[in-house]
Amino acid sequence: MLLKSDKIIPIVFLSFFAILLPLGYSAGLISVNSISLWGRYFCFAIAALGIDLIWGYTGIMSMCQAIFFCLGGYGIGMYLTLQADSSPAFLPDFMSWNNLTELPFFWMPFQNFIPTLLLGLLIPAAVAFIIGYFIFRSRIKGVYMAIITQALALSVYLLFLRNETNMGGTNGLTNFKTLLGFDLSQPAVKLGLYMVSLATLAGVYQICRHIVGSKFGKVLLAIRDSESRVGFTAYRVLHYKLTIFIIAAVIGAIAGMLYVPQTGIITPGRMDVKASVEMLMWVALGGRGHLKGAILGAISVNCLYSVCTTVFPEGWLFILGVLYVLTVLYFDKGFLGLFEKLAIRVGLKSRKTAAAPLP
Amino acid sequence: MTNNVQALKTFIWGILCCFFYVTTYGSQDSITVFMQQVANPSGEVDRSEAIQKLLQQDNPAVLPFLAAVQNSTLYIWKDELVVARKDADRPEGYMVLRKLYPTYTMVLDDEQQPLSVSQEELQSVPIARPDRLSVSGLGVRTNLFNPNTQIRAASYLEALQSDDIAPELLSWALSHEDDPKVLVAGREAYCYFQMTKATTTSAITAWADSLYNTGGNNTLQLLQNFRKRDGLPEDASAYLLSKSEKLAAKSAWMERIQNVFSGLSLASILILISLGLGIVYGLAGIINMAHGEFLMIGAYATFSVQLLFSNVFGIQSSDWFFLAALPLSFIVAGSAGLLLERLVVRRLYAKPLDSLLATWGVSLILIQLARWIFGDMTAVKLPAILSGGIYINPQLVLPYNRLFIIVLTLIIVAIVYWVLMHTRLGLQIRAVTQNRNMSACLGIDTKRVNAITFFMGSGLAGLAGCAMTLIGNVVPDMGQSYIVDSFLMVVIGGVGKIVGIIVSGLGIGISSKILEAFFEAVYGKVTILFIIMIFMQFRPKGLFPDKGRSAEE
Repeated sequence: MLLKSDKIIPIVFLSFFAILLPLGYSAGLISVNSISLWGRYFCFAIAALGIDLIWGYTGIMSMCQAIFFCLGGYGIGMYLTLQADSSPAFLPDFMSWNNLTELPFFWMPFQNFIPTLLLGLLIPAAVAFIIGYFIFRSRIKGVYMAIITQALALSVYLLFLRNETNMGGTNGLTNFKTLLGFDLSQPAVKLGLYMVSLATLAGVYQICRHIVGSKFGKVLLAIRDSESRVGFTAYRVLHYKLTIFIIAAVIGAIAGMLYVPQTGIITPGRMDVKASVEMLMWVALGGRGHLKGAILGAISVNCLYSVCTTVFPEGWLFILGVLYVLTVLYFDKGFLGLFEKLAIRVGLKSRKTAAAPLP
Repeated sequence: MTNNVQALKTFIWGILCCFFYVTTYGSQDSITVFMQQVANPSGEVDRSEAIQKLLQQDNPAVLPFLAAVQNSTLYIWKDELVVARKDADRPEGYMVLRKLYPTYTMVLDDEQQPLSVSQEELQSVPIARPDRLSVSGLGVRTNLFNPNTQIRAASYLEALQSDDIAPELLSWALSHEDDPKVLVAGREAYCYFQMTKATTTSAITAWADSLYNTGGNNTLQLLQNFRKRDGLPEDASAYLLSKSEKLAAKSAWMERIQNVFSGLSLASILILISLGLGIVYGLAGIINMAHGEFLMIGAYATFSVQLLFSNVFGIQSSDWFFLAALPLSFIVAGSAGLLLERLVVRRLYAKPLDSLLATWGVSLILIQLARWIFGDMTAVKLPAILSGGIYINPQLVLPYNRLFIIVLTLIIVAIVYWVLMHTRLGLQIRAVTQNRNMSACLGIDTKRVNAITFFMGSGLAGLAGCAMTLIGNVVPDMGQSYIVDSFLMVVIGGVGKIVGIIVSGLGIGISSKILEAFFEAVYGKVTILFIIMIFMQFRPKGLFPDKGRSAEE
């Protein structure tokens, strides 16, 4: 039964979003904007997968995942900004306001797509390596880890807010026109980006499943449950933690790179502490330690956000806050845990196969 | 030929006219007459003409009158022409008067204090806009008598740039000035003016000395500018250089002292916030993300007390509200903390990371609640007794409100230390901090200790919020800006150590103010974070770790 549902859910999910939704769009039932909206939800779901890897599976609570999301996003954003005008001496507005006459050196590689793609993944990986190395080396974990990464998120956010860093300041990067020659405002291109996001989500999910199922993934679980015992049995905990931290960062960056062309804007507001905690909350709500839970959480919270901000914009933070508290207090396994409980009650699933308790 | 005759005719005609004027009115009295005509225009000479006549007078004593005309502050009071200014120290609707002519003096009461006059006793003299505009041609000259102190101070500096203003006018205006800030600016301008006019080295150095002693804001720049002039004697230039260097060194020192002082006051606020956070963390291993919101609650409690005093009790201008707000903010924030502990945190003592998320959610709820109830921004009136500061010199003023915060922090730290070290409750808190299970075995009600500690910690944050209203606005998310710093302080200080919190608070507070002086505020913050990261490499358990052996898990 379990094996069966394990395969059925992804198939249903994929066929619904890959076939039914585009069909609905071509039949005129669904607007291109909601297609694009779902594309963005998939990006969040990808980022949530990364968070689930480090938090749900390894037990590291990092409050700076939004930084990696935005580093990827800013990378592609820089490329798109430079593509908006083809003249060689083109400078974005905010640089002219800073009295620059030519492109700063760190903008140079972003004139072409391939270096952008590489750097958009390499820079977050490098940043994650540096942060992770120093944090894990000194065995900072638990609450300390959360605080340090939170402070880090704050300072990177403050850096990006500044105008003189030449990253667009508070306004961020916007006014994108074309990506690889495709007009971003065309419905067909939006649909294409949606499909790419969906495909990436499926791919990243497969990779994460592979990681979780491998020996490496088992060690991660062991670290989550008892870090010192893993250390005593001659595993290099630092290497494992660092690797998974970098993988999560790269996954976050991929999500950011897909997100920005679909939204048309990236601002520092996406990477403040609040954003990082919200990402954690997606995973907590969906169900920690389950890859499906991460996807479910990211998509459902963002759906809720879209609905609530249109129906009663004042109350959204209130609802979010209540959700945080209720999730943590009453269903710490998230929606997935809730479904599981229901399934057990209805008799679809035996008590033994229920997921192991969280730490 | 005809031209010459014409000119001669005009000249003689002019002299005759002047003669006629002088004989008819007398030069001194003519001003009084014109002024009366401006105030009560009658007969054949109308107001505009009288103003034109006054504009032609070369007498500095006319300028205050013209300034009053220009700014519509001309009034008649007991049949006398006066200029009225609002005064910050006096109640709304009351003005301070100055007689205009022949002497420009303050109207005093029996005790030789400036008399406050109700606006109803004054009869305003309405002046048409074209007439007022015609006066504005005098520019700087009338601005020296503008009711606004900032304009007056600026006009002295402006007077430096224009060469056609006589030093006599400046000194006359200065002798009628009573605002200390304007006086400093005026003296600065006057000395500089005289220095530029001086020709001998000794005169230049003498005026440079006076300029140096004024202690104005622009003195250094003026000295440096003047040194660049051509044709300055060699020794005068050297003297100016030494003076400006001395001044630069002095102001650099003052800036350093000011930085350390603001660092101290920032540190005291951080210490107030982190004390509670640190004690709770030490006791239960829980970081309360909503801790900053208790600060906000304390600030809003202070604001409500102020509203209560002014709207319900009807006490408008009293400082008592603040005295009442201090304990109230402690109790209100503490009770909110207790409520949070009872409802949420109590279930999560075993799961510190989950409690992090839950309290984050609580903080969102509290911020949104505050926004609903109080709106986006409010401010608490600074108690009159705490306004102003200790004036050491123009560059260095120690504000009373910041001094108060430092003293308050000292007192509270002393109280907390005493409670922890010399009371039964403190003993229990320390025992539970060291070993929860063992304390429970020895009969300590750990749940009660948890609740009391949470109450105390949140209350301390509330007190910090009450203190914060002295230096800033009250906004719903005011707690957020300090909270990350205080988390870091707890991390650096070591688990539940008051000394650690004080040391790290002073360190973060002062170093961030000093770094801000070198870099921008943001880079200062980033630098501090890097220093902390490096520090954590060597002391992962903080400055004052618990001694002894303990298993990690």
